[in-house]
Amino acid sequence: MVGRNILMELELRNVSKEFDGVSAVSGVSVTMRKGVYGLLGVNGAGKTTLMRMLCTLIRPTAGEILWEGSDILEMGADYRDILGYLPQDFGYYPDLSVTDYMMYIASIKGIRPGAARKRTGQLLRQVGMEKYEKRKMKTLSGGMARRVGIAQAMLNNPKVLVLDEPTAGLDPNERIRFRNLISELAEDRLVLLSTHIVSDVEFIANRIMLMKSGKVFYQGTTEKLLSSMDESVWHCTVPKREVNDLVRRYLVGNVKSAPGGAELRILAKEPPAEQAVREEATLEDAFLLYFGEKVGGTDDTEI
Amino acid sequence: MILRYELKKVFSKKINRIVLIGTMLAAVVFSMFAIGGVQYTDGNGTTHAGVTASRRLADDKNRWAGELTGDRIAQAVSSRKEMNSRYSYDVPDEEYGKTVQAYSDIIYFVIDVLTPDTGWDENVLYQLEDEQAEDLYSIYRENQQKMAEEYGKTPRQRQFLKEQYDKIDLPLTYEAKDSWDTLMVYVETYGMILAIVIGFLAAGVFVEEFRVRADAVFFASRYGRTKAAGSKVLAGLLIATIIYWTGMGILLLISLGVMGISGGGTLYQIDFPYSIYVMTYGQYCMLAVLGGYIASLLSASVTMLIAAKMRSANVAVCVPFFLFCVMQFIARALSDFLTFFKFTPDMLVNVIGCAKAPNIFQAGNLVFRQIPCVMLVYSALAVILLPFAYKSYHCYNLK
Repeated sequence: MVGRNILMELELRNVSKEFDGVSAVSGVSVTMRKGVYGLLGVNGAGKTTLMRMLCTLIRPTAGEILWEGSDILEMGADYRDILGYLPQDFGYYPDLSVTDYMMYIASIKGIRPGAARKRTGQLLRQVGMEKYEKRKMKTLSGGMARRVGIAQAMLNNPKVLVLDEPTAGLDPNERIRFRNLISELAEDRLVLLSTHIVSDVEFIANRIMLMKSGKVFYQGTTEKLLSSMDESVWHCTVPKREVNDLVRRYLVGNVKSAPGGAELRILAKEPPAEQAVREEATLEDAFLLYFGEKVGGTDDTEI
Repeated sequence: MILRYELKKVFSKKINRIVLIGTMLAAVVFSMFAIGGVQYTDGNGTTHAGVTASRRLADDKNRWAGELTGDRIAQAVSSRKEMNSRYSYDVPDEEYGKTVQAYSDIIYFVIDVLTPDTGWDENVLYQLEDEQAEDLYSIYRENQQKMAEEYGKTPRQRQFLKEQYDKIDLPLTYEAKDSWDTLMVYVETYGMILAIVIGFLAAGVFVEEFRVRADAVFFASRYGRTKAAGSKVLAGLLIATIIYWTGMGILLLISLGVMGISGGGTLYQIDFPYSIYVMTYGQYCMLAVLGGYIASLLSASVTMLIAAKMRSANVAVCVPFFLFCVMQFIARALSDFLTFFKFTPDMLVNVIGCAKAPNIFQAGNLVFRQIPCVMLVYSALAVILLPFAYKSYHCYNLK
């Protein structure tokens, strides 16, 4: 039993999901163990579908998902017992108080009332919501509700914690707070964090999976990902009239106005301009390279 | 613990609270209607209604309380005939309050006994000889046999009807029963309202997760597809039970508390001598209450099933209204399908109508009456539907 716990392995074998003949996830094979995994992809890449399959909310059209060698759908309640999930579209019961909401979720997670009360108190303190425990859920701000969301996911001290876009819609301060919180909670468990905001993953994920058009086409460490890039990152200041031409010819990350022109961050094999200076690549650059578009909202890169 | 919070989810919603308070207030209002529905005429010919009227009426009528022997029937008939000869058909209010009101139930009983299958005809009373009045129960027994022959379509049905009539102990025991009689109408109407309200509340139990998009967390939880889904079924039944008995309890307590329980032991046959339901007024009222409860359970089951299937309460909440209210009007419009409409769910909240009519049915050698059949079938259906509601909910998205 102890050996099995140490193994802590979640394996996806050729998992696919189709909706009315349209493929959302296609032949994904991944093995995850203890640690934080960042699942990156643009909107519509299939991240949420994959996560919903991991949470037994939908059945794969093909393939299987195994937890320590057993099919998670066959394990049923036993698998869900070790699962914590914060969905992208986190819904709650608006008329329940924060404590009642937590106690209800604890009850459907099979936690005894005494333990549930204790755990609820602990988690609300940890997410900084202890002051609001009597407040109705509907009166909470988006960030506060998400903090309760992560607290509910942690109620059963899950071995597998699935967080689908946990920072979406949060203001920069809340996002920093949330990232720190996830790092704190990530110890001794498998955390799968889906996002299209690169900076979230950059800070807390040990390993990264890139997903596009329903397929996971890269999995590994950030360092390995960056070293595998076949293009370099260049920083240059050019006259404004040349900007459009460069944007057309290269993958351009940032464009920022500067005295006498514009500062550009460009991905290219060769220096795109005479005065271009090579810079160290970041995960955002990799995202730009692999997905061919700039990521997240404007605030993503400012953090 | 799951069940407790499941109920809390329902009762913490503002709209549900408003509906609930409104329903409980309706119980009070209906009680007032029932109390105000009884009229009493005093010896001065003044008619009273309201809080004291029913008890004063019962006191007046209970001068005739006790075993209703042939002699006492003859005495009442004789008095009524004398009144008629003195005042023709127009008895003054003073005289009505002093004498006629007290034995009016007995007079109505006599007329009903003498007109088993014809329309109400008061004249039969005035044609009745004293000896015939004294021997009314013989006429009653004879007419019971005739009714059995007329309404029993097969020998087995005739035998069944005769067996039912044989259960009527004669002479009847009389006690004023106006409080029960008046209450019945409100018990049925309020029972129907409760069934509709319960359907509305129970439908929400199975759609709340989808409405607030909390389904992902719910179904990803350990008991989300097992115990928690089962608790929803239980919560629906508990909601039906708690609300029904609380609402109906308020109505019965206020009404009977004010009007009194005189006549609870009087046989229903005092009003409908040829009814095939041999029961006291207390049992009659409880039968209507039970019918309402079964209607409420059915309402909860049906709405939970529809809501669980459709992931929406919009259609589900309309179904009880259709079953218990609209169906009655459809039945009146489609008189060619009378037999079918004798078994529709609205019969659960129409015990008054069912008890009057000698509706019996036969399947093989088994003869059965309408009310027990309807109650049994819909109780069973309310239970049978529950696993389907559970099943369609717990395997959500996994088929």
